[in-house]
Amino acid sequence: MNLELIHKYPREKRFTLSILQDIQREYNYIPREYMEYIAEYLNQPLSDVYSIATFYKALSLKPKGKYTIKVCNGTACHIRGSESIREELLKVLNLEPGETTEDGLFSVEVVNCIGACALAPVILINDKYYGGMTKEKVKDLINSYREVAINA
Amino acid sequence: MHDTTIRKKILVCCGTGCLANNSYSIYERFVEKLKDNPNITVETSIKATGCNGLCEKGPVVKIQPDDISYFKVSIEDVDEIIEKTIINGQIINRLLYLDTNQKKRIVNHMDASFYKHQHKIALRNIGEIDPLCIEDYIERDGYKALHKILFEMSPEEVIDEVEKSGLRGRGGAGFPTGVKWRTCASFNNFPKYVICNGDEGDPGAFMDRSIMEGDPNTIIEGMIICGYAIKSNKGFLYIRDEYELALKNMQAAIDNARSHGYLGKNILGSGFDFDLEIVRGGGAFVCGESSALMASIEGNVGEPRAKYIRSVEKGLWDQPTVLNNVETWANIPPIILNGANWFKEIGTDTNAGTKVFSLVGKVKNTGLVEIPMGTKLSELVFDIGGGIINNRPFKAVQTGGPSGGCIPKEHMDVPLDFDSLSKMGSMMGSGGVIVMDDTTCMVEIARYYMDFLSEESCGKCTTCREGIKLMLNILTNITEGKGELEDIDVLESLGNTIIKASLCALGKTAPNPVLTTIRYFRDEYIDHIVNKKCPAGVCKNLTTYFIDEETCIGCGICRKKCPVDAISGSLKEVHVIDEGICIKCGNCFTACPKDAVKIGGAAYAY
Amino acid sequence: MLIKIDGKTYKGHPGETLMEVARRNGINIPSLCYKKGFEGLGRCRLCLVEVSEGKRSKIVSACVYPIKEGIEVTTITDEIIKMRKDIILLLLLRAPDNEYIQQLVKEYEVKAPERYIQNDNDDCILCGLCVKACEKLGTKAISLVNRGITKKVSTPYDDPSKDCIGCGACAETCPTNAIKLEESNGIRTIWNRDFDLVKCSICGKYYTTLDALKFIEDKLASNEEHICDTCKKKSTASKFKESFQHIY
Repeated sequence: MNLELIHKYPREKRFTLSILQDIQREYNYIPREYMEYIAEYLNQPLSDVYSIATFYKALSLKPKGKYTIKVCNGTACHIRGSESIREELLKVLNLEPGETTEDGLFSVEVVNCIGACALAPVILINDKYYGGMTKEKVKDLINSYREVAINA
Repeated sequence: MHDTTIRKKILVCCGTGCLANNSYSIYERFVEKLKDNPNITVETSIKATGCNGLCEKGPVVKIQPDDISYFKVSIEDVDEIIEKTIINGQIINRLLYLDTNQKKRIVNHMDASFYKHQHKIALRNIGEIDPLCIEDYIERDGYKALHKILFEMSPEEVIDEVEKSGLRGRGGAGFPTGVKWRTCASFNNFPKYVICNGDEGDPGAFMDRSIMEGDPNTIIEGMIICGYAIKSNKGFLYIRDEYELALKNMQAAIDNARSHGYLGKNILGSGFDFDLEIVRGGGAFVCGESSALMASIEGNVGEPRAKYIRSVEKGLWDQPTVLNNVETWANIPPIILNGANWFKEIGTDTNAGTKVFSLVGKVKNTGLVEIPMGTKLSELVFDIGGGIINNRPFKAVQTGGPSGGCIPKEHMDVPLDFDSLSKMGSMMGSGGVIVMDDTTCMVEIARYYMDFLSEESCGKCTTCREGIKLMLNILTNITEGKGELEDIDVLESLGNTIIKASLCALGKTAPNPVLTTIRYFRDEYIDHIVNKKCPAGVCKNLTTYFIDEETCIGCGICRKKCPVDAISGSLKEVHVIDEGICIKCGNCFTACPKDAVKIGGAAYAY
Repeated sequence: MLIKIDGKTYKGHPGETLMEVARRNGINIPSLCYKKGFEGLGRCRLCLVEVSEGKRSKIVSACVYPIKEGIEVTTITDEIIKMRKDIILLLLLRAPDNEYIQQLVKEYEVKAPERYIQNDNDDCILCGLCVKACEKLGTKAISLVNRGITKKVSTPYDDPSKDCIGCGACAETCPTNAIKLEESNGIRTIWNRDFDLVKCSICGKYYTTLDALKFIEDKLASNEEHICDTCKKKSTASKFKESFQHIY
């Protein structure tokens, strides 16, 4: 375990969420041993830390793909066809919602408005925004990421 | 030797919208190209600024002092801009903004329809300064208000001024800011806290994001002023974790302000201490509710509590707390600096000042717009927004996000202010304005919001959690063709109970999208339930497309646009859609130049 | 502090909730998530009443509403009955087979349209009392997890909890009997974990778990006699009787 992630925070309950966020960022999910260690470190019941970890949507208990694709379903994106983009992504990646591709590369999630409404419909791959998305652009975009991953 | 150098400022918009379109590489290219500027007569400074508002036409590059604005600039344009505009003062026509209302290209963006109706207070600096450069902010009167209150005003005078200005909280309900501060100041219980709500979560609203990204210092200054007024020494900014750039710029601005003596101990030698800390939100819409937000800062699950004792008395860690949203804070320094009377002159009697709206959806010019309170909705959508994309029929706007409602075109003259929107059954909310055309189904929109809220409700109280779930089930049934007329009555009756009986503002406003769509679009509900037809062609079970033989000119555009080859027909002959193959994507419907593709009802009986 | 409830005047103490005053005076305000001695939770929403303060009146939830001097409370109006009916309907759709909810359904004459009934029956109505009981009497082994319509009560990861002592305080406080507690052959099973039961040294009946006993002993730093509550009461009563006789 990389305990530095946790030890840099004071042992105060109010840092529970911050620590969980940092771990999420590092590992793309909250491994169980970290959750248990946080409870111990902050002297909080495990049930409380678990409660927080399952409440906030930015946190995940399951590992996510190397590339997390977030399909914005804010209202502006919704009425400009975000649903059909999500369907196309799942089709191209052969995924069920919430799953990760077998090669561990991609997972798709629907997120609420990410505040880039003027570019609707928008998807985010990790931290990069793709505005004005269309169904037709999906395949090439995925392939370009796949290529980068293969060449890496 | 006298100085003949011409100074030019190149402002490259680096708000989230423009960044998505690669504006940062444009900025870097300018820096790179002008690094060893061989031209001795032009001296340039290049700034990466916050959002200019018109995100859809980004990346935006402005050249000062000539007041030239270029839109949709690409990296390939940089050399040409330097050569022609910067050095030789020529205008590149193709990069100018094409105003569809005035049907001409515009040199100075302030002359464009999108901008010329605007009155910027909260957004005054955005797009004009480098948010990471505190000197830019100071140059535009930044921290002058802070000087003024620390050395010329008592805390009471500060509260008087804010109260007199008539400023109401920009976060949603429009509670008078001065009253909030005064009540909090009245409790002799220390420590007290100041909080900035930057957990912007209303789908369709992104003004807070833009302010945090583009002018972080105005928020900091506003919060320090409040701290002084209510005698608090500590503030928190609760910012959505997804807003990476906002977090980065806010943190940099806080650090910078501290090193300039605006934050920390003994601010500017006044003896007053105040400091700020950022807390990242965890992705929960309900944390925009103040008591849930405070619970979240404390390290708890973001569940709201009953607010029979207000947070100005018992807020964060049960201490007196003032919480305002980002846009409210951005209004404070100009109010202090220019006085309450100046602010009151703008807007209407009971709704002073301006409001930032994010104009999005099926409208031509999408982006952020700051206009005086009381401006008519039609002015926003048509004069500023340029009307509906593809000139389709306008149907409604949704305001206030999941707590708001849909306003039909019959009420387009409603003034945009807190009270008028509430009267319509909608809400100002944080200022999202989502424009809808005839291809938006109002029943499906109501279903969409219930779906959103079923996930975003904290789940604490029965009426909100189970009530939203039932409304979602009923609406899903209707959109699938399984609705019955009594469903409308149940939705209305249940909606009223949820409003009255729920614990927090999320639940108390959750039924608004359903109730307003029933109120203004009951026919559309009946079409779904009785005629098994979705007039907008959105609900797949209730939609068939067919081609009107009289109108079809056989151009073949629909055939080419069909992704599943469901359309057949030879050139110049009437085309036909094969019902069995059609996936109801609607491509043919929007593509047909003659509107010959028509929407029919359900193909099957449900 | 004087307040009026349904026309009659009652005394209350500052800081008390409306529910506390009502219960003390035998006034029935329905609730599923209120328990004496626990702070109000405001979750089930059945305890809605109307409070008037001067000319203004509003609907409040009695279990979390702190009383104020001079308020006038009405516990039943047509509006309140309508709201309670709707709330009971929502609970019914969640827990259609639960006998406690059925009692409320009968009392308030609620009927649910057949086609709204879903197949995801759950006896738990998420009142949160079990979580509170575990916090106060036990070890905080369970909590409310997830949010929105997927909210539920569980141990972390739904696994047998290391912290749980099997004391059963959660099951005892549950208003809808939703928490499964099974006992057979000296073993208690709760939250997917088995616990050894301990017999009362007087009556010989199983009465608590070994872990719960150890927890109390650790907390009190003393060795408890293994006596169940019923026998304890009996023995206290007889001791009291003895000393009583002794005096006279």
